[in-house]
Amino acid sequence: MSGRETVLAAIRRGLGRGPLGDAARRALDERQGATDSAPLLPKLPKGPLPQVFRVGLEKVSGTMSEIAGMDEVPGAVAGYLAGHGLAPEAAVAPSLESLDWSGAGVQAAFGPTRGGDYAGVSLAWRGVAENGSLVLLSGPENPTSLNFLPDHHIVVLQGKDLLPHLEPVWAALRERGRDGWPRTVNVITGPSRTADIELTIQLGAHGPRSLHVLLVD
Amino acid sequence: MESLSHAFKERSVHALKDETLQVALHRAKDGFAVKRAKAVEGLPEFDVLRDRAVEIKNHTLENLDHYLERYEDAVQRNGGKVHWASSAEDACRIVVEICRAAGAKMITKGKSMVGEEVGINVALEGAGFEVVETDLGEYIIQLAHEPPSHIIVPAVHKTRGQIADLFHENHQKYGLTRKLSEVPEMVNEARQVLRDKYLQADVGITGANFLIAETGTSVIVTNEGNGDLTCSLPKVHIVTSSIEKVLPTAEDATTLLRLLARSATGQDLTTYTTFSTGPKRPDDTDGPEEYHVVLVDNGRSTMLADQFREMLRCIRCGACMNHCPVYGAIGGHAYGWVYPGPMGSVLTPLSVGLKEAGNLPNACTLNGHCAEVCPVRIPLPDLLRTLRHREYQLKLGLKPLRWGLAAWVWFTAHPRIYRLGTRVQARMLALLAGRKGRFTRMPLAGGWFKGGRDLPAPQGQTFMAVWQRRQKERRQ
Repeated sequence: MSGRETVLAAIRRGLGRGPLGDAARRALDERQGATDSAPLLPKLPKGPLPQVFRVGLEKVSGTMSEIAGMDEVPGAVAGYLAGHGLAPEAAVAPSLESLDWSGAGVQAAFGPTRGGDYAGVSLAWRGVAENGSLVLLSGPENPTSLNFLPDHHIVVLQGKDLLPHLEPVWAALRERGRDGWPRTVNVITGPSRTADIELTIQLGAHGPRSLHVLLVD
Repeated sequence: MESLSHAFKERSVHALKDETLQVALHRAKDGFAVKRAKAVEGLPEFDVLRDRAVEIKNHTLENLDHYLERYEDAVQRNGGKVHWASSAEDACRIVVEICRAAGAKMITKGKSMVGEEVGINVALEGAGFEVVETDLGEYIIQLAHEPPSHIIVPAVHKTRGQIADLFHENHQKYGLTRKLSEVPEMVNEARQVLRDKYLQADVGITGANFLIAETGTSVIVTNEGNGDLTCSLPKVHIVTSSIEKVLPTAEDATTLLRLLARSATGQDLTTYTTFSTGPKRPDDTDGPEEYHVVLVDNGRSTMLADQFREMLRCIRCGACMNHCPVYGAIGGHAYGWVYPGPMGSVLTPLSVGLKEAGNLPNACTLNGHCAEVCPVRIPLPDLLRTLRHREYQLKLGLKPLRWGLAAWVWFTAHPRIYRLGTRVQARMLALLAGRKGRFTRMPLAGGWFKGGRDLPAPQGQTFMAVWQRRQKERRQ
């Protein structure tokens, strides 16, 4: 018997029954999830979504600035780099390649990084107001390495992509069709941190030391 | 991992005398409980979410075979491979084979409790691979050659001085010359050293907090980002997961995520929640070329058969140990196996046997705090009591204890003799204690009275006698 059959047989022995019949399996497949009721979504604080998002993000030491349009992104990145005493260089997601980076004086390298870049710039697929989280999808347009290797991670989030909870994000992914999930969905809530030494919180454990969101109206 | 649980008593005594450990434990105890309480207070829906979580886990466990098969289908559709391991040995063999086939030399690892359970590091090192733990806490205890003492904060028992010594000893080969003293510089030191390891590694191994059947996804939560670097930089990603981690949908996982971080660290959500589905796609510019999942049973299917199925709801948040007075006094190492505290005292005897770990369920005050804070409402004290019962039935406990219990059973079954006995005993003890009204020593008490402890003496009458007298007075 293969490992698979051994484990499945042991589970069925534990459950005290044989394999489920076709009808029972179909009924399980048709369910929306484990419970009969719709997911319970926590009530969010009053106020516009960007405000709720900002409170969540700042609670976890993230920062945010609001800009009026996508064409302002390179300028805002240049401002952030200068403000942090960094050279005007960044590894940038190809999804943002069409913006005028040289016009803003930023030397942008488009594509994944192998470390060595101080700043990475990515485009969020969605934002979640509940905890100030960003949802990033992997792909040639948005290499995952940009989210984790640079010291400073700057993420562009468009206001129209800001949702109240994670559940509508899953609904949107489901709309991409069966197997519409990319290799990685990163839900990022603040910069990297650890409390492994004497429970003292320290930012920048292995991932970015700081996380900055550019919310585009 | 090999169990040392049979030596629980000796190890506890040792832990109580270890002053450095006591300092570290004291720091941890209040911090965790306060942070959790604050986080829970901030989410009015917390208790309703707990009910939902119980419902979700119970439904999934009831249909575990179905959801695991659906999960496997989805992983395969996305280009990944699922391996089934019924024992720890199977799991190790499978992981070693994958690493060999990949021609690996160096392997980075994210934190995986099931990895600790099956002893994956020993197996991999035995097969000649270099294995590097990347979670800072796990890395520290790897340098110290110790097992984790807590499931969330593995190095919680170490002080910064001890960690500075470990880095000083082990990092000279990377150019560290002086002894570090501050937390930020230690974190930075580990960051620099591990950064190179991530980039050199051929295989990355992570655990899974959840598996999603609908999409074939494995979910990990980390604060450091080490799990992400481990699963996205090497060319092979292996996920080790126990079978009960599967859930039907991402929505179900989200309900549990709302409970997990709050219960564990008092955060609303862990910094990085990462959903991995298969290897890199044909046009991706980064990510692993191979994606393997090793599903580990190792005794869990047996737990489905009786009341211990409830234990399979556990999401490994650590709240039970953070609120346990016994864990708070002795720390995790005394328990002698992978899982400490209340959840460990249930899992360890089920996994390594009551003969080896029978003392763990006995080391519990049954104060019920663990069950109160458990996000998935596992009745831990009830399960511990059942294990005590089993231990008694199997005639495994200490003989004096068993005889004492047998005598007690006989007495309580004979109420007249019981009452007479306690009456005589209470009077005798009151007489013996004399005017002081308390004992400061007693035969057979061992070291109980050491350090100025005393024991109040009975005041001469039994509770039953006092009660009857009062009832009589009231009637008059």
